[in-house]
Amino acid sequence: MQAETNDLQYADVNNDIVRSIVETGPRYYVALGIAGGVALLCFFFPWFYQLYFGIGAAGLNHPGVWGTYLASFIFWIGLSHSGTLLSCVLHLTNSSWRKAMYRSAEAMTLFSLMVAATFVMVHVGRPWFIHWALPYANQMEMWPNFRSPLLFDVMAIATYLTGSSIFIYMGSIPDFAAVRDRTTGWRNTMYTLLSLGWRGTDREWHRLHWAYTFLAVLIIPLAVSVHSIVSWDFAMSLVPALHQTIFAPYFVVGAIYSGTAGIVTVMFVLRRYMNFEQYITKVHFDNLGKLLLLLSLIWTYINMVELFTAWYSDTSTEHEALSYKLFGYYAWLYWEMIAFCAVAPLLCISGRFRTSMVPMLILSIAINIGMYTERFLIVGTSLSRQYLPDSWGVYVPSLVEMSIILGSFALFTTLFLIFVKIFPSVSIYEVKETMDTPTVTSNAEPIAPPEGSPA
Amino acid sequence: MPKIERREFLKLVGAGSVGVGAGFMLRETIKHPPEYLIPHVVAPEDFSTGIATWYNTVCSMCSAGCGISVRTREGRAKKIEGNPNHPVSQGKLCGLGQSGLQVLYNPDRLTGPLQRMSARGGETFEQITWNEGLSRVADRLDLLRAAGRGNRICLLSQGVGGHLAQLFELFMAELGSERLLHYDYDHPHTLYAANRQFFGEEHLPYYDLKNTRYLLSFGADYLGNWISPVHHSLGFGHSRQGRPDIRGRFVQIEPRMSMSGAAADEWIAAKPGTEGVLALGLAHHLITQGYYQGADLDAWRQALRDYTTTQVAEQTGVATTTITRLANTFARSQSSLAIGGGIAANHSNGVDTLVAVNALNYLVGNLGKEGGLLFNPEPAGSVSHPRQASFRTMLKLAKDAREGNIEVLILNGTNPAFTMPAAAGFTEALSEIPLIVSLSSFMDETTALADIILPSHTYLESWGDDFPEPGVGFPTGAVSQPVVSPLYNTRATGDIILTLAQHSGLSDAIPWNSMEDCLKDGWREIYERADEETRTESFEVFWRSMLKAGVWGEKSQRDQTFTLAEGVIDNIGVAPPEFSGSPDDYPFVLHPYISNSFHDGRGANLPWMQELPDTMTSVVYGSWVELNPVTAEGLGLKEGDLVDIESPHGRVRAPVYVYPAIMPDVVAMPIGQGHSTYGRYAKDRGVNPIEILSAQMEPHTGSLASSATRVKIVATGKRVELIKTGGTSRDLGREIVQRFDPTAQSKTGGAHSTQLNSIPITTVTT
Amino acid sequence: MSIFERFTEGWKKYRKPGYYREFDYHWAMTIDLDKCTGCEACVTACKAENNLPIVGEEEFAKGREVQWIRIERYWEGEYPNVKLGFIPMLCQHCDAAPCETVCPVSATYHNQDGLNTQIYNRCIGTRSCAVYCPFEVRYFNFNDHHWDSPLDQQLNPDVTVREKGVMEKCTFCIQRIRQAKDDAKDDGRRRVRDGEVQPACVQSCPSNALVFGDRKDPDSQVAKSMKDPRAYRVLEELNTDPSVVYLKKVDAKG
Repeated sequence: MQAETNDLQYADVNNDIVRSIVETGPRYYVALGIAGGVALLCFFFPWFYQLYFGIGAAGLNHPGVWGTYLASFIFWIGLSHSGTLLSCVLHLTNSSWRKAMYRSAEAMTLFSLMVAATFVMVHVGRPWFIHWALPYANQMEMWPNFRSPLLFDVMAIATYLTGSSIFIYMGSIPDFAAVRDRTTGWRNTMYTLLSLGWRGTDREWHRLHWAYTFLAVLIIPLAVSVHSIVSWDFAMSLVPALHQTIFAPYFVVGAIYSGTAGIVTVMFVLRRYMNFEQYITKVHFDNLGKLLLLLSLIWTYINMVELFTAWYSDTSTEHEALSYKLFGYYAWLYWEMIAFCAVAPLLCISGRFRTSMVPMLILSIAINIGMYTERFLIVGTSLSRQYLPDSWGVYVPSLVEMSIILGSFALFTTLFLIFVKIFPSVSIYEVKETMDTPTVTSNAEPIAPPEGSPA
Repeated sequence: MPKIERREFLKLVGAGSVGVGAGFMLRETIKHPPEYLIPHVVAPEDFSTGIATWYNTVCSMCSAGCGISVRTREGRAKKIEGNPNHPVSQGKLCGLGQSGLQVLYNPDRLTGPLQRMSARGGETFEQITWNEGLSRVADRLDLLRAAGRGNRICLLSQGVGGHLAQLFELFMAELGSERLLHYDYDHPHTLYAANRQFFGEEHLPYYDLKNTRYLLSFGADYLGNWISPVHHSLGFGHSRQGRPDIRGRFVQIEPRMSMSGAAADEWIAAKPGTEGVLALGLAHHLITQGYYQGADLDAWRQALRDYTTTQVAEQTGVATTTITRLANTFARSQSSLAIGGGIAANHSNGVDTLVAVNALNYLVGNLGKEGGLLFNPEPAGSVSHPRQASFRTMLKLAKDAREGNIEVLILNGTNPAFTMPAAAGFTEALSEIPLIVSLSSFMDETTALADIILPSHTYLESWGDDFPEPGVGFPTGAVSQPVVSPLYNTRATGDIILTLAQHSGLSDAIPWNSMEDCLKDGWREIYERADEETRTESFEVFWRSMLKAGVWGEKSQRDQTFTLAEGVIDNIGVAPPEFSGSPDDYPFVLHPYISNSFHDGRGANLPWMQELPDTMTSVVYGSWVELNPVTAEGLGLKEGDLVDIESPHGRVRAPVYVYPAIMPDVVAMPIGQGHSTYGRYAKDRGVNPIEILSAQMEPHTGSLASSATRVKIVATGKRVELIKTGGTSRDLGREIVQRFDPTAQSKTGGAHSTQLNSIPITTVTT
Repeated sequence: MSIFERFTEGWKKYRKPGYYREFDYHWAMTIDLDKCTGCEACVTACKAENNLPIVGEEEFAKGREVQWIRIERYWEGEYPNVKLGFIPMLCQHCDAAPCETVCPVSATYHNQDGLNTQIYNRCIGTRSCAVYCPFEVRYFNFNDHHWDSPLDQQLNPDVTVREKGVMEKCTFCIQRIRQAKDDAKDDGRRRVRDGEVQPACVQSCPSNALVFGDRKDPDSQVAKSMKDPRAYRVLEELNTDPSVVYLKKVDAKG
């Protein structure tokens, strides 16, 4: 990594990154316009239609009362996973290659969580009463049901959202200050407020590092618990094929897996369209490729365990659910998922593949399509084959649902596009830390080459 | 921190208020008014439920004559339940009966008199006043009566009993017309005829299902729609599990498993039309095994000589062991009972079949015995049967119409344009009649041909009475009273007839002003018939108490002895059934069956019935054709494949339903759907299998042999998704419907089940 | 009463083992499958009593019908030795109901009568109760429902009409139970007598296959019939402790 950034000077870093915030070309506005427009047209418009008409606008039925909205919810939660989690883990292990990409990864976490939270609103029948799921003091002394895994979910996500927001914000303070110093006008005012009077003293750096590490340690278990809890929404039901102990690790691995793939996609876009070639390098893709390979193997293993448990249970209910998954109405989706998430990532064995940008982009998108499918299958196929065969049925998503799924990506993109114009999307100070410079005075973090660092 | 100025503060406050207001408005618009109703799940402490008023009256959804209680609140009918006092329904009611509310509140009811504006076939009607309509009809009737051509007036009604039937009689007699006909598609002509042949009287006996130990049903879907299904269900339940240590057993013999077949302990498929042969085979076994020792044993032996077990097994396709087993159990279980009807009677040999079934009861002495077949006394009032038109009579009517012998046709409720096969040409014949008047409440297929429509009240708005046929062993009757005030500008059928009579100057013979008066006069006679000592002090008291109870009964027992009608034994015998269409061209026998939801099609405009899953298939909203799984596989057909069902007389198109319990060479279709009009819920939905039936008749009665048409199945290559509630109707070893084997039980000492059964019973602590 | 006293009292009350099983009444139903003919009179009665919507052909085809009680059918064997078993399926009012634990807003809970209740105006429509219910007897209102005038005149004023976005299910005709309790109170009685209250389905059943009553009363018809050796509960292995008990269909050989 050092090799590639050798010719960069501190000033270049500052200039490059501040430029990405201040200078806005027409391409950006076109992109924002398209993303915002699609979000409005494909997400909000169908959603309002659904609010007016009722959940019947979706293809839901009996017994398929849960559908793509919930699948999307899990998907976005999952996508959120790698961002902050990965950033924390890498921070604690001092992996210097993390530094160019973690900001955008954390932003991804934040926005996927927001989109996921929106999907909760889309999912429920009466979103105008959604606040009832929150434990707020009220005159009727009506409290939510603390036994409900759904309520655990609300809590877990709220905590995760709060934690991630603080984490990304805290890590950005020095950068806000850097941008503050180079901007004028309303931007200056804004960054003055955001940087909380950061001056860059040793004391400040010290505190920042301490707090940052503390938060990183805190967030790792939180990230694991969030998806475990999401999995309990399913695993705590009696539905055959959902009622499984493997679900918590399954969901966590799946989440990190899809999140990592998501980071690859985002990094590709940033690199290509935000002119960050010098910061986001092949090394990043190489490392993430290895991570993807590892995760795909774990994921495949868990999937096989799931199949085995269903077969080994030797009950009619589990067998029917299993054979429906493998050979039923949605079997093609299952095999598509296997192809995308279990087979395709094996390509990452090859180093050449890992360092080729476009193939990695395609793989990362394929993995996320596969992971979306997985979430859909968990909801869709299991509900189709429950205990009473005479109540079996098939659920097929409607156009409104398809449109909202599509729109959610546009919504995510819109949020991300707004983000890159506010936050320095690559961490200024941490990139600098990786650069060859005459060492500094303070007792701030030493720049010793981190152990196991790929560079 | 920048200083906020007053202006800006006000702006912010203003914007905030608007925002909050808009938020609330949005919330209010999303909300729906029903939310404010009080849910009883957790009702407020000071809330008490409203008081309902119950009216007892009589159900008119089929001819069984169940007594009903209608719950009303604030002058609106809310629910129909069985009248607990009524001996037929005993507080219970079938789904169709309960849907009577949707007859009353049907959005497609005719709301006032109409007059045709276009040629027949079109549906352009114009509203007229009652006076215009009535005087137009009355003038025509007057003219014909004055000219001595009263016989050119025909009154075609649905089956009605009681004083309305008497009023019809009187009215038509005064007009000088013989042509008073009742027409119901499913009227059991063959059963009446068989009883006349066997017992010498044309009445329906009482089948004592309640006390029977063994029931053989030859094609009669007694739990579904045969004669009096609610009463039969009551008996069935009691027979099964209502008596300590005795459990009645039920055997159903029919080519397609009906609801009764599913409820039976054993379902046996005999070849279509050979049920009677099977009955005689059983009879033969009874004779040869010495179960029957009557004086006429030799005559029976002689008559049944051609019905040996092997011969019968060959003809019917039922195994010899089954025949002997059935016969032995039938003879040994006292009391046992054999009933016949439905599909078994809808063949060219229908009456013979039912005579054979009666013979079975005779041979084991089930007649006039508890748990067997009991004879009913004469009904206390008019019943519909003597006026019921058979298919042959209807053909005659059509012929008369074509020849111009009918000038006025008054229709009351019946819908022959729907329930007559197209081959009969009935609809075409109707168009030859110069004036058709319909008193129907709905625009059904026949009413759509009418020139003047004088819509009548529904049964929940009008006065009437009914004397159930078959009775329940003693004379009963029930008065039906209006439970709500009329919804629309309609009039009661009786009142329309009375007004017509007044217009025509028949007041001397028909003196009443309203149907209520007519009823009261009629019931006064019944009241006065009773002993002075036992009856209440005045007719008014009697009348009021009867309206309250909803039913009246007379203490009298019928002598149950009887003599066999002459020549029965010599004439006994069941000819092979005749089918229309050759087996080579038309390999399947079509079995159109009465749907439990729609009856003969009259229930198709009731949304509850449209949405009620069919008992056997769970299909809703449409028609289907049932095929045996093997047959379907042979034809390469799956559920939902559209096929043409083609008879020599036409074809209909319906999706396939693969039905596990139907003979391979029989295809079955439900009757009831396929209306071309009859309101939004019925119109253009499914097909009507009656259309393609051949005009084959049972020779004794002239009733339609509706199961005697052969068809072929032609795949169309198209598919539709059958709308049904059922997913996979196999329980895959999940033990959802568990079965209990009492014989296995006694071996293990009954411990098995009690161990499994861990249901805690706690005692009350007060 | 001081806060401390209140606390200790509550503590004692709720520390008693099985306190949650102490009901005022314990309404239960038995369904004799040997008597059930599958005629669906109960289904119609329920529609009439509880204002169940007429969803229409299109919605029905999508699988959005509402039937608080429905008949399930299970075929056994192949032609000609084929049998069909009917089983009425309705909310089993489980005493250990999975649906009650999952609702995040406690819109469904167990009340003092041992009933599993659904509070429509608390429901936010997560539909998780329907997923958690193994009997699949919970029905969701996917849309607002419409009754073509004047069909709406039939609606029972004692039962609310549910709006879009809420879950609904069998209540054991709680409005009738309420009425019976009020009547008993007017009579100066403490308890409702056996047979005084019947849900619409039980009331209508032509073969008397359904029996309803208070199983805390050992003399009630329902308590007696629960002791029948044929008694079993559907999906007993899931241990949800249903209040609906089925009596096995008798399958006599020969």
